[in-house]
Amino acid sequence: MLPEWMTKTEDYAPPKDGGAFYRKTLKSLGGIMKRLKVEGGKEGRFSLPAWLKIILLLGLIILVSVVQDRLIIMACGALVLVRLAMMPAGDIWGVLKTTIFAGVFCAVLVTPAVIMDPARLSNSLRLVLKVMICVTAVGEFNRTTQWNHVTGALRKFHVPGVIIFIMDITFRYIVLLGKLMEELLTAVELRSVGRNDKKYASVGGIMGVTFLRGSEMNKEMYEAMQCRGFTDDYEGL
Amino acid sequence: MNIIELKNIYFEYEEGEPVLNGLDLSLGAGECLLVLGDNGSGKTTLFRVLNGLSFPSKGEYLFKGVAITADYLKDNSQTKRFHKDIGYLFQNTDTMLFNSRVYDEVAFGPRQMGLTDSEVDQRVMDCLRLFDIEALKEKVPYHLSGGQKKMVALASIMALSPEVLVLDEPFAGLDQKREASLLEFLAELKAAGKTLIIATHKEEMFKDLVDKVIRL
Amino acid sequence: MHIPENYLSPATCAVMTAAMVPVWVHSVKKVKEELPKDKIAMVGVGAAFSFLGMMFNVPLVGGTTGHAVGGTLIALLFGPEAACLGVSIALLLQALIFGDGGILSFGANCFNMAFILPFVGYGVYKLIAGKAAQEGKSGRLYVAAAIGSYVGICLAALACSIEFGIQPMIAHDAAGNALYCPYGLSIAIPAMMIPHMAVAGVIEAVFTVAIYAFVRKTSPDMTYDSIRLANPKVESKKSRTPVFALVAVLIAATPLGLLATGTAWGEWGADEIAEIAETGSPLGYTPKGMLEGFSLDVLMPDYTLGEMNEVVAYILSAIIGTALLVIIFKLLSMALRGKSAKNAA
Repeated sequence: MLPEWMTKTEDYAPPKDGGAFYRKTLKSLGGIMKRLKVEGGKEGRFSLPAWLKIILLLGLIILVSVVQDRLIIMACGALVLVRLAMMPAGDIWGVLKTTIFAGVFCAVLVTPAVIMDPARLSNSLRLVLKVMICVTAVGEFNRTTQWNHVTGALRKFHVPGVIIFIMDITFRYIVLLGKLMEELLTAVELRSVGRNDKKYASVGGIMGVTFLRGSEMNKEMYEAMQCRGFTDDYEGL
Repeated sequence: MNIIELKNIYFEYEEGEPVLNGLDLSLGAGECLLVLGDNGSGKTTLFRVLNGLSFPSKGEYLFKGVAITADYLKDNSQTKRFHKDIGYLFQNTDTMLFNSRVYDEVAFGPRQMGLTDSEVDQRVMDCLRLFDIEALKEKVPYHLSGGQKKMVALASIMALSPEVLVLDEPFAGLDQKREASLLEFLAELKAAGKTLIIATHKEEMFKDLVDKVIRL
Repeated sequence: MHIPENYLSPATCAVMTAAMVPVWVHSVKKVKEELPKDKIAMVGVGAAFSFLGMMFNVPLVGGTTGHAVGGTLIALLFGPEAACLGVSIALLLQALIFGDGGILSFGANCFNMAFILPFVGYGVYKLIAGKAAQEGKSGRLYVAAAIGSYVGICLAALACSIEFGIQPMIAHDAAGNALYCPYGLSIAIPAMMIPHMAVAGVIEAVFTVAIYAFVRKTSPDMTYDSIRLANPKVESKKSRTPVFALVAVLIAATPLGLLATGTAWGEWGADEIAEIAETGSPLGYTPKGMLEGFSLDVLMPDYTLGEMNEVVAYILSAIIGTALLVIIFKLLSMALRGKSAKNAA
């Protein structure tokens, strides 16, 4: 038998304030999940092998941060821009967004220093430029390299198998647990119909369930691995 | 007045095929709609649209005569009112539970509605009784069985007393006894003038309940 | 707290990475010893958890939100060594995939967030909690978790601000102007510490306790405390965590001091400190530019274009210009396409 209050039509006037933070988190999480999906890799046909790209990227970043000579920095900037120009428009915008944000952030950060002492202007400008070059280079790298090729490259560099195994697992868990978090947040959002005086308890609940589920999945995965003949040899993976 | 009205709804994901192609639909109070379709035919997408979680790329969705758009849901109090009026049982009910006690799980919604403690307690206890899960009151939702979790999730939605109930595969993972009592509950709800929208693969089970059917 | 590329000098980055190596080695050893084989992948869960935790907007008073780092929490759930590895991997992914935090500064970021934060946080927690876990005094555990995570993140922020603050001393050009982070200790420390002590520390504490409490209530056997209690082999080894942390801080701090080519670390004269206090500019740059007035010379003081090989410079400018044009053109056409698609719909 339905309770009487459930059969009525309620006229409910909710309070105006609060509750936006689930949506904020959902949004930032959704953005990350989307990028992870895209970032999974769009490698062109003539893409360099990942290990070479890593070496080049690392070389470029070290060069840019060590060198103070404008000509060399300019050359690095040119290189990065040419690579960017070869990418499709959607990807260019994705990379540039991060670059612009990093540049503006850095510029804001050094502005007080320049105001205190204008002699710092040239060094500060160079710093902003260097930051932007490095961020663009990383952006280009991760938009053109598949994650499994990155771990493959790390294997080539003789990074221990356990570490690579853990990195692969991490990547997979971010996707799986991220999806779970998205659903939990949605569930909380759908039932947040008024003032929540125990916000922190729901934060604890969402992340707590995520942790428990992660541990459980981990156990299941290990058992599945054993069923398929895994013998605790992480180096051979 | 129709409580739910979909006019020529289109939905497409950024990559891949469109899932909803010019869907039209209207439902009045006390009507029951069955949504049929294969996996990946867009049932969950439709449900997300109905709950204001996704917005159609084209077309209009009216709830109680008001267009539900991203702009409309920017207003916190309008959003909360809308969410109170429509309840959504996920296909995967595991992911709906985030409290450390079944009691708190069911009380989560009512506690926010400005009710007194005894009113909240009454609602919670009524809901627990309704789904025959009073014994689980102090248990941790996370550790319950699949069927029990589904009942807790349903209780926590019904504690808000929604006008429209959206159920995604409500019978998946239920034993026969629970199936029968859930069906009975849905019939009572319909009789009380609430609107039901149900995605299912078990069309024949609802033959006494259903008013409309769409196949995606 | 993610330090981006180029804010720290390469030398600092190298030192910080070197300081992390023994920590990583120790952590790998400890994790292998402590965690049963089936729990190795648990480090991956910890890393994913750390990564996702940073996405979470924690509500604060007045409708504002902020995100936590969660280093102490991960130590409470997985143990400090597993937390160290997990957070390190999360940071690596963030640097490689999202450009959050630099690649060269990876070592420094790990030092602050994967080493100081979880080890200090966990050390403080243990110190306050004592035997509360065995006695089942949950209240005391939560207080310990709150204080531990607060102290942990504040000390991590302090380490971060010191790394920033020493940059003007160890890396500057002939004119004495900073090449990397331009702010000295007198600015970097308060700039980092005030927001962290007032806001980020509170978020961290709230986030940590909320989740720790949930896990203890629902699955008390899943916390690191219970894993230790259930595994006497682990428990019998005395915890050296706080001592270990202190030693590593000292190890890291010493070469940093040696690297300071200006006045030696911690040996400023009274007049120098007075000058810092007065002008806010560390180790006293003469405000030369201010005296000479602001002129275009300032833009290119010692490396003017004239000094460069002009031909090369021209070619580079042309390349940059062309690339920029292509980029702008592509973006414009994308925007236009987007608009026309919308109109059509």
